[in-house]
Amino acid sequence: MQIFQYILLAFLVICAVSVSFSKRLLNSILIFMSYSLIMSIIWILLESPDLAITEAAVGAGVTSVLFFATLKKIHAIREEDEENHE
Amino acid sequence: MSRLLSEEEYGRRPIGAFKQWVNGIRDPYLNNVEIREKIQPQESEEVLRKRQEEAVAVIRQVHDVANNSQYTLFRKFYKAAALVCCLTLTILLLITVAYLPPVGNAGNPAHNEVAAKYIEDGMQDTGAVNIVTGMILDYRAFDTFGESNVLFIATCTVLILMRNDKKKGKGSAEEEEKRDSFYEPKNDKILQTVAMVLVPFIILFGIYVILNGHLSPGGGFSGGAVIGAGLILYLNAFGFEKTERFFTAKTYKWISFSALSFYCIAKSYSFYTGAHHLESGIPLGTPGNILSSGLILPLNICVGLVVACTMYAFFALFRKGGF
Amino acid sequence: MTMEWIRFILGTGLLVIGAVTFLAEIFGVFKFRYVLNRMQVAAMGDTLGIGASMAGLMILFGFRFVTLKLALVLVFLWCASPVSSHLISRLEYTVDEDLEKFCELDVAEREEK
Repeated sequence: MQIFQYILLAFLVICAVSVSFSKRLLNSILIFMSYSLIMSIIWILLESPDLAITEAAVGAGVTSVLFFATLKKIHAIREEDEENHE
Repeated sequence: MSRLLSEEEYGRRPIGAFKQWVNGIRDPYLNNVEIREKIQPQESEEVLRKRQEEAVAVIRQVHDVANNSQYTLFRKFYKAAALVCCLTLTILLLITVAYLPPVGNAGNPAHNEVAAKYIEDGMQDTGAVNIVTGMILDYRAFDTFGESNVLFIATCTVLILMRNDKKKGKGSAEEEEKRDSFYEPKNDKILQTVAMVLVPFIILFGIYVILNGHLSPGGGFSGGAVIGAGLILYLNAFGFEKTERFFTAKTYKWISFSALSFYCIAKSYSFYTGAHHLESGIPLGTPGNILSSGLILPLNICVGLVVACTMYAFFALFRKGGF
Repeated sequence: MTMEWIRFILGTGLLVIGAVTFLAEIFGVFKFRYVLNRMQVAAMGDTLGIGASMAGLMILFGFRFVTLKLALVLVFLWCASPVSSHLISRLEYTVDEDLEKFCELDVAEREEK
């Protein structure tokens, strides 16, 4: 179990770094979602399931949905799609 | 002898003019004040040339970034200063970390008597089996009150930023929502069926988490977040027409207001009577029952309501600019 | 004793199948280049992998209360995951203008584009 925790913590650090180094905003949000999911698993391993529920619902669910809505508001998603097709 | 004056004639008299001025119909000085003709400013050739030169200079100094030595110097200085600031902060924090007591030392400040008291007497004092809930909603209830208020203030801020007040026509809330979700699948049968099956269970789970906050892990924040996520799923499946039947700005206002004020009043009463359940008169009940631990259950419900409404309001404001 | 062994082998076998499915899914998501292919790989891997690993866990745990919870988790994920992939694919179908490059269309659909 200790090794598992270390792997998760390493993943957490990798996610946190790659959020800021990712070139596209959409990718950043997806990585942030996975960060929240890993964080919720770590909360369960640290024996605080209530925080895990909150983290999974808020961090992975609502926050990313709000981020997506914001990206849509500032028209960041469609332009990236056009770049993709070119 | 009195006769009824016509409207125009009445308006010409001083008292009538005064009355009209009070009502905001007419300005008494509107046509009676001498107005000077607007004079077009005459400028000589030299002034005009000077102005043009100024404009060119501004463009050269401000917009032409690549060839501006001052600007490049400032950029370099900015980068260096940012680096120095970050490094200083990092080094300061690392030095502070070096001075921290070692992990697991018995004399650490984390191991003082407060935590031990919470763990030992928590169940007896608060009546909650779940010590965490007993702590955040009883020993440190004002802290949680502040958090709930922060959520409310956050909604107010988003409301200021995102609010779309126009009722009809171009740029109105409905128009914006339609434009926003132009490409999105509308009235998707699969999504609607799945949402119809799942949403009640999600909301039921949220209510379970809220009501069992003092018995099992969970509480107002987690349960409220779950309910909010369920509401957002329902909104995505069925659109705004369905949700507006039970959740509008008025509902949000009243739920938030009553939950926060109930929280404030209940906790103020508790603190007024001594804060440690000295003589509050609220029975604690047997720990483990659903109706136990005094004020924690209603406070949990309040926090859950506020959190759920805030989640939903955020999403509605981001999507449509109103709810 | 033999029953225990059979249960253990069955459970671990299902778990391994689930893990292998997940690995194949990850590989496929990075291998394919087009949205619908990637979506299909992800959805298939999700449903099959989760189903296999949950079934393995249920067999390993035996007939207990936890098994019921796992079954509920399975039902929830089987509801949620295909619907999300369906929505992604439908969005791609409505948005993409040169869909013909990637897949065959009916006559009616082609006229619609």
